[in-house]
Amino acid sequence: MSNARKAARIGRRRWASRTFHSDAQTEMELTGGSTTQLEMDLGELPLPVGSSAVAVTPLIHEPQEQVDFFDLLAESPEPTPQTIFEGMEKPVFAVSFADGRTARFQHANTLLESFEAQNIHIEYQCREGYCGSCRVRLQEGDVHYTEEPMAWIDDDEILPCCCIPTSDLKLQ
Amino acid sequence: MAYTTFNRNEFDTFDQPMFFGEQVNVARYDQQKHKIFENLIEKQLSFFWRPEEVDLTNDRKDFIDLPAHEQHIFVSNLKYQTLLDSVQGRSPNVALLPVVSLPELETWIETWSFSETIHSRSYTHIVRNIVPNPAVIFDDITKNEHIVRRAETVTKYYDEFISLSTLYQQLGEGTHTINGDSVSIDLRDLKRRLYLTMVSVNVLEAIRFYVSFACSFAFAERAKMEGNAKIIKLIARDEALHLTGTQHMLQIMARGKDDPEFATIAEECREDVIAIFAEAAQQEKEWAEYLFKDGSMIGLNKEILGQYVEYITNQRIGALGFDPIFEVRSNPLPWINAWLNSDNVQVAPQEAEISSYLVGAIDSEVDTADFGDFDL
Ligand code: FES
Ligand SMILES: [Fe+2]
Ligand SMILES: [Fe+2]
Repeated sequence: MSNARKAARIGRRRWASRTFHSDAQTEMELTGGSTTQLEMDLGELPLPVGSSAVAVTPLIHEPQEQVDFFDLLAESPEPTPQTIFEGMEKPVFAVSFADGRTARFQHANTLLESFEAQNIHIEYQCREGYCGSCRVRLQEGDVHYTEEPMAWIDDDEILPCCCIPTSDLKLQ
Repeated sequence: MAYTTFNRNEFDTFDQPMFFGEQVNVARYDQQKHKIFENLIEKQLSFFWRPEEVDLTNDRKDFIDLPAHEQHIFVSNLKYQTLLDSVQGRSPNVALLPVVSLPELETWIETWSFSETIHSRSYTHIVRNIVPNPAVIFDDITKNEHIVRRAETVTKYYDEFISLSTLYQQLGEGTHTINGDSVSIDLRDLKRRLYLTMVSVNVLEAIRFYVSFACSFAFAERAKMEGNAKIIKLIARDEALHLTGTQHMLQIMARGKDDPEFATIAEECREDVIAIFAEAAQQEKEWAEYLFKDGSMIGLNKEILGQYVEYITNQRIGALGFDPIFEVRSNPLPWINAWLNSDNVQVAPQEAEISSYLVGAIDSEVDTADFGDFDL
């Protein structure tokens, strides 16, 4: 079993022990009698604000009906980043600015976020396409809007806060 | 010609321009010539907030502890914003509704102006919290020469347009003798005045508020007047939408997209537009000087605020298709962007900065780091 699989299993047990903290009997059944699980403390969980340990709702309500996805997966090859993306082209696009700066767009929610992660500063305000602060001129390439842009932009301008590239881009 | 509250004529809404066409009749939104105004209405409604939801009890203590020159900065900005929103809470309705010809635009104007009344009410909420007698602040707005001087430029385009447009509705085009004076009314001249009024409104919402916004956020950067900053964030979010609204109207006009006459008017008015922006920038810089007359505040002085005014002026005039009018190329106060972003605006008294508490707001940007050791 790969380390990732082990971590996943351990994590799952830890989660179960947390959710059943107030019911030791169920906890024993679920984890095959291991009492060490009970050492897990609710304090480790990032509880939603306003809730308390007493008010925690068990996320797994009926352990006997649980389908163990990890057992179902046992016969198939271990998932790796390669198999996950097999057959899919990774969306990586090169972005270049007229002043010589370059960036790569890859797996970001928006073009703006991608720039920020690569230390390229773009003005912003709303980050939702209605204020126009992030407006930049598109010289070459195409983008797809993830939400309808409301700010007024010229035909050759884009709002990086609410779009992703669908090709390599040249920006001004 | 006289204004009617329900036009009986039959006409195709798609043949109507934004202004000075048929007066509107049925408030219907199934046929929209410019869908953007419907989008703006929906967005504005989703922004709805009430000033009373923002707790200002800490601001009272903060205000008492501020040195006198910082109290002056705070109170002066509040007075100026009160003036601006007093104007904006009524003028779009009074000036534009009698001449509007599209139902979705009519409703956007009403929705826009209504949101300004929320801003005005929030100032009373703030003032009540910081001084025992609000009248000392509000009564000064019509007396203070620095505010009155700016009120003059803010309102003159509105007032002149309203006065002539009222005569046009009653008497139509032509030369009329009114109380012994000869007044000539010309539709093209009215359209020109409407265009410049819209530019002046754009300047009001896009530039004039920002000196004040910057000061509010500079206080909050030092953990002072944080309740006020929350209110200002909500106001800034609304204002960003309003300025998008006027930018759309101005661009639809300038491109002759529904009334070709406006395209030639916009072309003729280019110098006037630049002058309106330049005058506003100059007045805002003078305002910064007045604010800091007894001393600057931490993080801001009149030079950097002046550069910020120039920067924002370039941005706004650029959005209307003009070249920048100032040298400054980058934002001298980049930290303001985070404050101007409304993502973590939070009005209810729950734990601060958890945007998922916002009614109707869903934070879709979940990062795996958010879960920490929360394995599954
Ligand atoms: S940040 Fe407001 S439109 Fe992009
Ligand atoms: Fe306002
Ligand atoms: Fe406004």
